[in-house]
Amino acid sequence: MNNLYLKELTELNGVSGYERRVREFIKEKIKDRVSGMEEDILGNLIAWKEGKNSKKLMLCAHMDEVGFMVSNIEEDGKLSIIPIGGIDPRTIIGKKVLIGEKEIPGVIGYKAIHLQRGEELTPPSFENIKIDIGVNKKTDAENKVKIGDFVAFATKSTVNGDWASGKALDDRGGCSILIDLIEDNIGLFYTTYFVFSTQEELGLRGAGVAAEKISPDFAVVVETTTSGDNPEFPEARRSTELGRGPAISPAHSGYVIDEKLFYWMLDNAKENNILYQIKRRTVGGTDARRIATTLAGIPSAVISIPSRYIHSPMSVLNLKDYENTLRLIATSLTKEVKDERTY
Amino acid sequence: MELLEVLKRLSSLDGPSGYEQEVIKYIKEEAEKIPNVKSEIDHLGNLIVRKEGPGKKIALFAHSDEIGFVLTKKEYGNYWRFSHFGGVDPKAVISQRLRIHTRDGSISTGVVGMLEPHLQTEEMKGKVPSFDELFIDIVEGGDKVSIGDLAVFSSEPFSLSDKYFTGKALDNRASCATLLYALALLNNFVPRSDAYFVFNIREEDGSPGAKAVAYKLKPDLAIILDVTHGDVQIPSSPKIETGKGPVLDIGPVISYEHFERLKKLAEKISVSYQVEPTGGVSYTDTDAIQITRGGILTLLISLPIRYMHTPYEVTNIRDIEETARLLSSFIAQGGE
Amino acid sequence: MKELIKKLTQTNAPSGRELKIREIIFEEVKDFIDGYEVDRLGNLIVWKKGKSNQKLLLDAHMDEIGVLATFIDEKGFIRIESIGGVSPYNLIGSRVLFQNVEGVVGIEGETAEDVQKNTKELNFDKIFVDIGAKNQEEAEKLVPLGSFGVYSASFTDLGKRIVSKAMDDRIGCAILIDTIKRANPYNDFYGAFSVQEEVGLVGASVVAFNINPDVAIAVDVTTWSDTPKGPKRMSLELGKGPCIKIKDSASISDRRVVERLRDLAESQNIPYQLEILLRGGTDAAALQKTAAGIVSGTLSIPCRYVHSPHEMIDVDDAENAVRLLQALAEEPKALI
Repeated sequence: MNNLYLKELTELNGVSGYERRVREFIKEKIKDRVSGMEEDILGNLIAWKEGKNSKKLMLCAHMDEVGFMVSNIEEDGKLSIIPIGGIDPRTIIGKKVLIGEKEIPGVIGYKAIHLQRGEELTPPSFENIKIDIGVNKKTDAENKVKIGDFVAFATKSTVNGDWASGKALDDRGGCSILIDLIEDNIGLFYTTYFVFSTQEELGLRGAGVAAEKISPDFAVVVETTTSGDNPEFPEARRSTELGRGPAISPAHSGYVIDEKLFYWMLDNAKENNILYQIKRRTVGGTDARRIATTLAGIPSAVISIPSRYIHSPMSVLNLKDYENTLRLIATSLTKEVKDERTY
Repeated sequence: MELLEVLKRLSSLDGPSGYEQEVIKYIKEEAEKIPNVKSEIDHLGNLIVRKEGPGKKIALFAHSDEIGFVLTKKEYGNYWRFSHFGGVDPKAVISQRLRIHTRDGSISTGVVGMLEPHLQTEEMKGKVPSFDELFIDIVEGGDKVSIGDLAVFSSEPFSLSDKYFTGKALDNRASCATLLYALALLNNFVPRSDAYFVFNIREEDGSPGAKAVAYKLKPDLAIILDVTHGDVQIPSSPKIETGKGPVLDIGPVISYEHFERLKKLAEKISVSYQVEPTGGVSYTDTDAIQITRGGILTLLISLPIRYMHTPYEVTNIRDIEETARLLSSFIAQGGE
Repeated sequence: MKELIKKLTQTNAPSGRELKIREIIFEEVKDFIDGYEVDRLGNLIVWKKGKSNQKLLLDAHMDEIGVLATFIDEKGFIRIESIGGVSPYNLIGSRVLFQNVEGVVGIEGETAEDVQKNTKELNFDKIFVDIGAKNQEEAEKLVPLGSFGVYSASFTDLGKRIVSKAMDDRIGCAILIDTIKRANPYNDFYGAFSVQEEVGLVGASVVAFNINPDVAIAVDVTTWSDTPKGPKRMSLELGKGPCIKIKDSASISDRRVVERLRDLAESQNIPYQLEILLRGGTDAAALQKTAAGIVSGTLSIPCRYVHSPHEMIDVDDAENAVRLLQALAEEPKALI
């Protein structure tokens, strides 16, 4: 079973702190295929399936995407916004967005180039960006939206042949992998927890709470990560390359991946002839940091689908990489993590 | 409770982060004047005042620490180098007197001066000295001070007008006063929740105080009281004003459901309120509390103040009274 | 003590790859302890039973800063990223030691101006490691992608002062080991040798979770101020004694820990300094936030050229640290 719901997942709106739609969608799809499922106070969705061994392995992918929040309604009916998560303001002009529970449509407009004198290369800032919902008065706007409403990109995805494009591949790609794994009816070695976490983009906030409830023996974070493989970026500084398979991280911000788990993934890939790469940059972090430092310590690993242009309204991934990531994790879930250090 | 007197006392007491004990002691004394409360100080120094009741466990938090300074190195004569606790603008320290708490308990006085304009070079004029360039000139008790001694602004609080009050440390003593007042008002209601009023330590260095209490209490709802900027125009934000009532925060670190309930209650009992959007973490104790243990539902309510982190912060007394009124009613109806 | 420090600092164990150093430390202490555990992240925890029912935890981190091999080009030149606070400036003119081979650090520069510019604004993108390989294949055999390296720098005995890489924090480990060997503890005494401090206090975030000590003290290095035109706001001098930390930029020591160590040092005539560190943090910042909160502090050893391949400390400071910690462990009175 391969990328059953990737397209739909990436089109759902689930800005950090407002992941309800994504959670409800996932719940629907997996509810009859797991031994149990629950939601916690932070909105994490935790599902599990029994394995041969009673030790617990936690898989984790985050449901939230970067977006904005309505911070003020101006006199002229336009909406001011503040970012939720790390969005580059240079990627957001000329985009369609959806606002609040009613998903009111709007556009992020910008001054026409004809009217810009020498400012073409000046980056926009959040302060001078406004959302237009087609009204001219504050009171008219207040009938449709309110301060605190989330704002999500409305990008439609394409999933075709070898390539997928859309918003929120980080980390609906990971969520999609978890759903595919659940569908797959794998002979799990460990009792496996499938955690769809919240608020990762705001500082890894949901995953630790979920890990604290589950208290797993190990964790594997499934992410969609950076690459840099384009003609403008030097080869030596790239993080991953699309088409070269899942990226296994040795270390990232705030955490060096558990040595045992790192080599376990590597060995599983080699023994099963699955294409893989080792992630080359340590910049950026994942839920692994948060999970590892929970309770009395939970050794964690990170495996990622390489992607381009994450944290913008338009990212790209290679579906062959998706497939190999799925294969590698599916295989690993059937294998024991050996205790002896053979490296 | 004589709110103005309490506020004055709270502002004039010195309690930089990690050294809040005098403030905690005073708050405990004031709290114990209120009937039906039990108070204790935990192993870290946080004060927890419980007003027992049936139903949900609601914990209210107000951090008791203030920004301050510490002597780091002795230069010759009266001169000492210093550093600070919490975010301080060097401009706020220039031409100020600081109260220095020495090892034997006595208070020494130091002055942070500005070189006279006549002697300043062209380069120095118009440039604000950084903390690396500033120094304290000890004018009283110079023989008593040593490295590691803590200091605070020496400004004395007073009423600016019948509505406005000013002094140091209103961040966050104004919230502490609000909590005490809310506790007193709570006596007018039949309790429908188990309420814990927490005056925690050390918000400035990553909230270890608040986190510890949240971990131990595991409340059903946590309401954090802090301060926010009032009467300044921040781009893309609604204008928050002093005198217009408590500021209710909205965003990912807030429980939306409880925000709505609080809003409805405010409207019902005619407490005017304001809304402040926070897109990420709030930089208050709320952030640590929300992800403690298995997660805790949180609300953040702020008092608007002017001139935050300067020796004369300004608050509107009405805001304190109205916030206390809203809080006590909310707790009294079980946070529903 | 010098021999012990030499053995520890010359062991190569960067953050996340502490196996070797843990084994060496265990060999040193195993005959002096009542029990031990290696937890799930690799922290080594040892203990000695005392007579009281209180627990003292001393922590030192086993890891050193290092580099990660991330990319190898067709000619066999290796690109690296830092693990912990390695500054690229500390690598120029230095050698890097991987598991099987040593390499020289080079810098990019197509013209003389390029080289100058790159040196002025140096970052990891502009440097590479040369292990003298003929091509990519040969290099990858010796340094597989994802493998770790450390500074290649020897131990030098200058008499009172000693120099090596990884003084941070093998000196803390040495002090902890000696304290364990010598102390006949009054309270239950726990020694925690933590992992991955340099990348984000990872080990210390969990090491105290199951122990729940009454007091936790991190033993680490701090910076220095006693070299020509050294940091002018701090007062940290080699040879003047171990430093009782008031605060750093990551945490504030519990004032009771400061007072206790200070009183003890004075009554036992052990030289000491009081420390305010302007930029930097220790495991104490993580220990204090464990579970329901732990009263914490740090005892530091002033160290010149921290995070360079040649860190220098004064042996007397280390000896005095052991004396002070041993006195603390043995003093027949409640910890707080």
